[in-house]
Amino acid sequence: MPAASAIRVMVVDDQTSMRAMIRRTLQDLGFKDVRDKAGAAEALAAIKSDRVHLVISDYNMPDMDGLQFLEAVRADPVIGKTVFIMLTGSADREVVQKAAALGVNNYVVKPFAPAALKEKIERVFGELN
Amino acid sequence: MRRIPIVQGEHRVVAEPGVIISTLLGSCVAVCLQDPQTRIGGMNHFLLAEPGEEVPPAGQQRYGIHAMELLINAMMQAGASRGRLRAHLYGGANIIAGLGRIGSSNAAFARQFMAAEGIEIGRCELEGTHARKVEFMPYEGRVRSTLVDRAPPLRALHAPGEAGGDVELF
Repeated sequence: MPAASAIRVMVVDDQTSMRAMIRRTLQDLGFKDVRDKAGAAEALAAIKSDRVHLVISDYNMPDMDGLQFLEAVRADPVIGKTVFIMLTGSADREVVQKAAALGVNNYVVKPFAPAALKEKIERVFGELN
Repeated sequence: MRRIPIVQGEHRVVAEPGVIISTLLGSCVAVCLQDPQTRIGGMNHFLLAEPGEEVPPAGQQRYGIHAMELLINAMMQAGASRGRLRAHLYGGANIIAGLGRIGSSNAAFARQFMAAEGIEIGRCELEGTHARKVEFMPYEGRVRSTLVDRAPPLRALHAPGEAGGDVELF
């Protein structure tokens, strides 16, 4: 049973309010090391240097969207196996299927309750304590 | 002029001349966003919690942030630039005495969201005790708010997804 406090997380979303909300939700779930970035390009650089364990990324972002970001992470020999959970809109069924093909670990549909995010993380990491 | 009425929980984005997006507001808030360069504009109409309903502040934030994200994403997909967005805020009235100040909570959220996201606020007609009719002509850059006697009925809110998605991946 992994400790949430031992998992380093990177939250990527272009909306400041959404990043803050996800950060609070993760902290309520016991995560201690939560970083965030407003864009995929800067997040990619930070993931390489910070070696995070879990990326939680929005799909709908300007410049580089969540699928392009996922593809870039998976193509990198150093960070390619980082756990990646995508946040999508309710109508993004096709996005989820494309993300699955690119190797996403799981996805969460916005708006989500904290329990839904916890469940999706636990499906990848196992039950958190 | 073509008229597009919206109700609680909806949003619309238009990019052509001669279109009015309109809505009736009581304690709900409508945010009108416009990119003055492309003339793309849109309006949403949302409520954080129903009067008398016990929704924790974090839950209320989720509704509002999601409603704003849907509008902003639709604007950007239509070709608007996030950095140029300007907002007009309406609604958030406290119409029914004794049912708390849900209108003020909605209004405060809208103001805080714009501040957090760095979106400039243009016209701002929030709170008070009267319902409002808002008409927004995005392409023309015009917006009009009039006080009306009766607020529209509130629709039930849908709780944020407990399951988080129904497509089975693995």
